[in-house]
Amino acid sequence: MKFSGWIFLISSWGLILCLAVFCFVKVFSKKELK
Amino acid sequence: MAQVKKRESWGSRLGIIMAVAGSAIGLGNFLRFPAKAAANGGGAFMIPYFISLLLLGIPLMWIEWTLGRYGGGFEHGTAPGIFHSLWQKNRFIKYFGVIGIFGPLVILIYYTYIESWTLAYSFFAITGKYASLTDQASMRSFLSGFQGLEKNQYFNGLSTAYAFFLTTFILNIWVIYRGIKGGIEKFCKWALGILFIFGFLLMARVLLLGAPNPALPAWNVYNGLGFLWNPDFSALKSAKVWLEAAGQIFFTLSVGIGVILTYASYLKKGDDVVLSGLTASAMNEFAEVILGGSIVITAAFVFFGPVDIQSIAKSGVFNLGFVTMPLILNKLPLAGLFGFMWFFLLFLAGITSSVSLAQPAVAFLEDEFNINRKKAVSILAIAAFIFCQPVIFFLGHGVVDELDFWGGTFFLVIFATIEIILFAWVFGMEKAWDEIHKGADMAVPGVYKFIIKYITPLFLFVILGMWFAQEWLPKIMMKNVSGADKPFVLGTRLGLLLIFAILAVLVKIAWGRRKNGQKGKK
Repeated sequence: MKFSGWIFLISSWGLILCLAVFCFVKVFSKKELK
Repeated sequence: MAQVKKRESWGSRLGIIMAVAGSAIGLGNFLRFPAKAAANGGGAFMIPYFISLLLLGIPLMWIEWTLGRYGGGFEHGTAPGIFHSLWQKNRFIKYFGVIGIFGPLVILIYYTYIESWTLAYSFFAITGKYASLTDQASMRSFLSGFQGLEKNQYFNGLSTAYAFFLTTFILNIWVIYRGIKGGIEKFCKWALGILFIFGFLLMARVLLLGAPNPALPAWNVYNGLGFLWNPDFSALKSAKVWLEAAGQIFFTLSVGIGVILTYASYLKKGDDVVLSGLTASAMNEFAEVILGGSIVITAAFVFFGPVDIQSIAKSGVFNLGFVTMPLILNKLPLAGLFGFMWFFLLFLAGITSSVSLAQPAVAFLEDEFNINRKKAVSILAIAAFIFCQPVIFFLGHGVVDELDFWGGTFFLVIFATIEIILFAWVFGMEKAWDEIHKGADMAVPGVYKFIIKYITPLFLFVILGMWFAQEWLPKIMMKNVSGADKPFVLGTRLGLLLIFAILAVLVKIAWGRRKNGQKGKK
């Protein structure tokens, strides 16, 4: 795999992981449904 | 006078997130995405993919969650009622909403059958029915025999496929019959849990393959990942690549179908939609890019090498899932177990989507005709069962492709365009913005006000315009359909027209009854 391939893989995975972690941390710290 | 019953609701926030994520995570996450990415620029495909996610997928997702919750407040769980609530002065807008019941129903018709293949193959994997097959030709023949397209040494007809279809169909109906909280929510929580465990185990197994053939050290996992992720920037000059990326975002997030509208209609007025919607989308992206992007193509590269992978990646999702993957998994120790995990993962991805596809029709009957869930599910079951038969018996005649085009492609874009125009322009962006933020646990970035009003509609018009310019005429004239298949394709179109007309008449009857009910009250 080329260096540029690693860049795309790591940045894509990183972006999605960060989004997922951010969302779940927020979901579990907020209120339940009414 | 008929009593107005209380609408159902979700039991927990995680429940609706899992249900919407389950609806979005489907066979496409594990098969369509890696094939599309590999064929359209590799890593460079992720540039239009993420741009489409930000400008198309996420805005539409927020709109659908908001519209669904808004409609639920008026006791409407499907697009005809929701559109009517948004634009009460317009007599015809409810008929545009018919697409939001028609689309999911059409997809349900063929999706349930394809989903049943994954259940069948998970059974075949664990019982070793295809364990002795070692090449593409024999595996393809096994699949054709199973589908009833040919009689061979593996299958003597359609009976096995039909038995698995019946099992899958009954399972779907049972989940919907149990209701929103006791059926869909409970089931999706379990199913997604198992799906992610199987996904992680399969990903780990593939990434730990190394270079299984010592004589061919270049056929290794790193180069397999490279095949999918090495960027080809020249692909970005092609409009087709951008359209493919936008199309993939549509399919993967389940936007433009009508399913999210219905699921979100079971929320209460003050329930958050911004964070819940984003979380469901993040789960879907995780399944698609991280799990889906590392299993199939990487494994195929490792076992078939850099030459054959080119044709495998272009061979279509069915070939990738039902021919290439079983062959690859056959080469691993514990082949039966990994084969089972792969197909059962696909089955769970499929069934969490198909129950969501069935829900709009059920909600329509419940909300607009005030009939109970059990009756509504029974009506849907009978209708869907009848509609599924041509898909099973005329499989090799282009019926699935035709249903997929109208239900799963064309009407998705049309429906999303109607939704966004209604939301941002008819309802009004200021009111829409307030509506999105009711009970929100996080603020939508201000730039999305501009994106939702101008950029997303423009993006959708470009997609529609490109499609009309390139594909409208050949598609309508059946240019790529063989002479023998034309009567079947034409029959499918007439069937679709009939389903649409029946739904439109039902909308007319429902609104007529509503009007008479209101007059009676006065």
